[in-house]
Amino acid sequence: MSDPAVWTRRALLAGAGASALAGCGRVRSGRASNTLVVGLTYDLDTLNVYSTGFLGDVEAAVVEGLLAPDEHARYVPVLATEVPTLENGGIVRDGAGMTITYKLRPDVLWHDGHPFTSADVAFTWRAVKNPAFIAESKDGTEEIVAIETPDPLTVICRYAAVSPTFATTLFTFGILPQHLLEGVDLNTASYNERPIGTGPFMVTAFKRGQYVLTERFPGYWRHDASGRRLPYLDKLIFKIIPNSNTLLTQIRSGELDLVTQTPYDQAKQMRGLAGVEMMRAPLLSWQHLDFNFRNPMLADRQVRLAIAHAIDRAPLVRAQGDFPVPIKSPVVPVFDFYDPDLPPIAYDPDKARALLDAAGYVGKGVRRRAGKPLRFRFLAQAGKGNDELAQQVIIAQLKAIGIDAYADNKTGVSYRQARYTGQYDINYATWVTGADPIYSRFYATKGSNNGQGYSNRLLDRVLVQMEGTLDPAERRRAAFAMQKILLHDLPSVPLTSNVAVVTKRSALVGFTPNPTNMTPFVGSAFWRWSA
Amino acid sequence: MSARVLLTRLASAIPLLLGISLLLFLVVHLAPGGPLDVYADNPSVTPAALERLSAAYGLDQPLPVQYGLWLKAMLTGDWGFSIRTGRPVLTELVERLGPTLQLGAAAMAVALVASLALGTLAAARAGSWIDRVVDAATLSGLSMPAFWLALVLQYLFSVRLGWLPSAGMETIGETSFVDSLAHLVMPATVLAIVTTAGWTRYIRAGMIDVLSRDYIRTAYAKGLSEREVLVRHALRNAIVPAISIIALDLASLISGAVITEAVFAWPGIGSLFVQSMDGRDYPVLMGVLMMGSAAVILANIVGDLLQAALDPRLRNG
Repeated sequence: MSDPAVWTRRALLAGAGASALAGCGRVRSGRASNTLVVGLTYDLDTLNVYSTGFLGDVEAAVVEGLLAPDEHARYVPVLATEVPTLENGGIVRDGAGMTITYKLRPDVLWHDGHPFTSADVAFTWRAVKNPAFIAESKDGTEEIVAIETPDPLTVICRYAAVSPTFATTLFTFGILPQHLLEGVDLNTASYNERPIGTGPFMVTAFKRGQYVLTERFPGYWRHDASGRRLPYLDKLIFKIIPNSNTLLTQIRSGELDLVTQTPYDQAKQMRGLAGVEMMRAPLLSWQHLDFNFRNPMLADRQVRLAIAHAIDRAPLVRAQGDFPVPIKSPVVPVFDFYDPDLPPIAYDPDKARALLDAAGYVGKGVRRRAGKPLRFRFLAQAGKGNDELAQQVIIAQLKAIGIDAYADNKTGVSYRQARYTGQYDINYATWVTGADPIYSRFYATKGSNNGQGYSNRLLDRVLVQMEGTLDPAERRRAAFAMQKILLHDLPSVPLTSNVAVVTKRSALVGFTPNPTNMTPFVGSAFWRWSA
Repeated sequence: MSARVLLTRLASAIPLLLGISLLLFLVVHLAPGGPLDVYADNPSVTPAALERLSAAYGLDQPLPVQYGLWLKAMLTGDWGFSIRTGRPVLTELVERLGPTLQLGAAAMAVALVASLALGTLAAARAGSWIDRVVDAATLSGLSMPAFWLALVLQYLFSVRLGWLPSAGMETIGETSFVDSLAHLVMPATVLAIVTTAGWTRYIRAGMIDVLSRDYIRTAYAKGLSEREVLVRHALRNAIVPAISIIALDLASLISGAVITEAVFAWPGIGSLFVQSMDGRDYPVLMGVLMMGSAAVILANIVGDLLQAALDPRLRNG
């Protein structure tokens, strides 16, 4: 590719002779050359999957992990030959801890042709754990106490404690190439601009603020059912188009083929475009209203229940463009742990008023008990438009039952501090999780993210059971029990869950959404254009 | 303008830039949001990890300390590192300056030629239908928001006619001069239209003023052609008052046409500004703003120099 800044006289003449403008033909989509052009709505900071604060869309097509979550957020093997379980002997209880053995896929090559081995897996653990490396998350590194690599295709990870959520981060995110990164400072490595992986596509150009060009890796290990080597596409181009109007224009003009996170404000306009289809896919995030139990008024379950009954989710959804979906549990329905029989808390303002009456809060306007008004400091993240909008809707709904909630929004670190240390009465917020969330973080008495001062010994026991066993059936039973306790105690009112609005050319087949932070690009090897 | 005056002007820019930097630093840091907001909903990033990150970037320091550290670094030529990408701010700025200069130069060239021609023509035919058409056109150009004009052009030439690419700087994998030109046409046109509209009106007003002077009448009386009178005698004087406005506009073209670049996904300083604003990437944001401020001050001085060069009466000022 030549640099546009280097314009020679010859190029000028050649250009003039060719045609007046490139537009003599119609602006083409990438399809003619078996290329898929993807629109990214955000600028890329780095292409190192362990450093980025953004979704790893590009990375998922380039770098592979040992496992990956599928469209149901269930783990499937990628560079490992199978997902380790107790049944297949991949996981063995080892005193208080456990040992996980991964068998690696043979004949896997890095993009530079170097063979992938167990040494790369052990290196990844060491490199991410290294305190000098500023990673977005080092989750999963501390739980492992040692890694052994008895042969090139076997990795034995020793854990000090049972860790059923072992698959959710480290080796699932991606494996780093030891032969290229050993002794290199990962904070400044050229790898961050041009990652080398084992995935179906290789990064061949990254122009900041413009695009990432990836091309088919001819030595990719995966084949389809007929034995044809994947991927089907020759090129996958990621164009950075942060302006949502331009995104829409590019879909319309045929310059873009796929947008996996269509901005809500543009999604409705993309409906009904010829040759374009829209899909709504679940995402592992949910909005909720948290109560601070240190406030005696909110420590009263009747008050929390009244608030839960006062909230109508329909206007909340409408305020956010009709895209989020109402939920009734902090376990979003895509998970096996979701209890479908959990009864919803109905919107019933009359019942809410009756509950407050019964709790002794009476009077016109703002209700009072013993002269004390039912008034709460309401925290949300300042500057987050949808959150502040939802907060205003909730303030109006609470006012209707005689509760005065006033916004006390904060930003950045001060918001996080307030949230984690409970400097609020009511908090409207979102949690985003990986494919195997650790709920004790939020609801256990000593949970690292429990800023609410909420504590229930029975729930603590249930959470230990859920996160201390490797038996999926037992975990599911514990998850159901957790949801029932949370529904009764109401430390938090689950409100809505987000969706990813996927806009794609109808001719693109094999596309499967993915609700996790691994993004749909984890399946890009299987995408192709229909004949 | 003498060399001494020029040096004084340049020296007085230093306290001005310092004052601007303090104001910008406060405004940028007091706005809602922060660079670590991207982690706000992620429960895996623990409060301890966030504190570590905050300390690593110096965000845990009081604002005056942060400003002092930033200023000290700036004065030693260290523009810091982007919180978002970890790359040096200077690298980020230099990388984005090329596309911005390319876009700005194209728009400027078109605007300068068009506004000189239209302004002169309208003044020479003041009150005629040509003047009225130019007046209406420039008024429309001034009233049209750049983003709206951009969207109209994109819809027309990309969606309906399919003649031009709607955004970006090149067709990936197919770069050629013609392709680059095709990408440049629409953003440059948007910038040029908005700029031409303003400049034309200034030049027209200056020309009308000059055309009523005695020396113009004398020039006509000497038997010079209208073209000679307009171009050689009138335009040179008419352009002087417009120069300071044009100089300031040039600075804004160079420091980044924020909206145009954002709509056309043009990877210049304007896009960088929007992105660093979104991510509250303070070091980059301050870098862009300071560069823009310096460009405005410099353009002002250059404007004065040009005025003095064209009008001898201003040379001793």
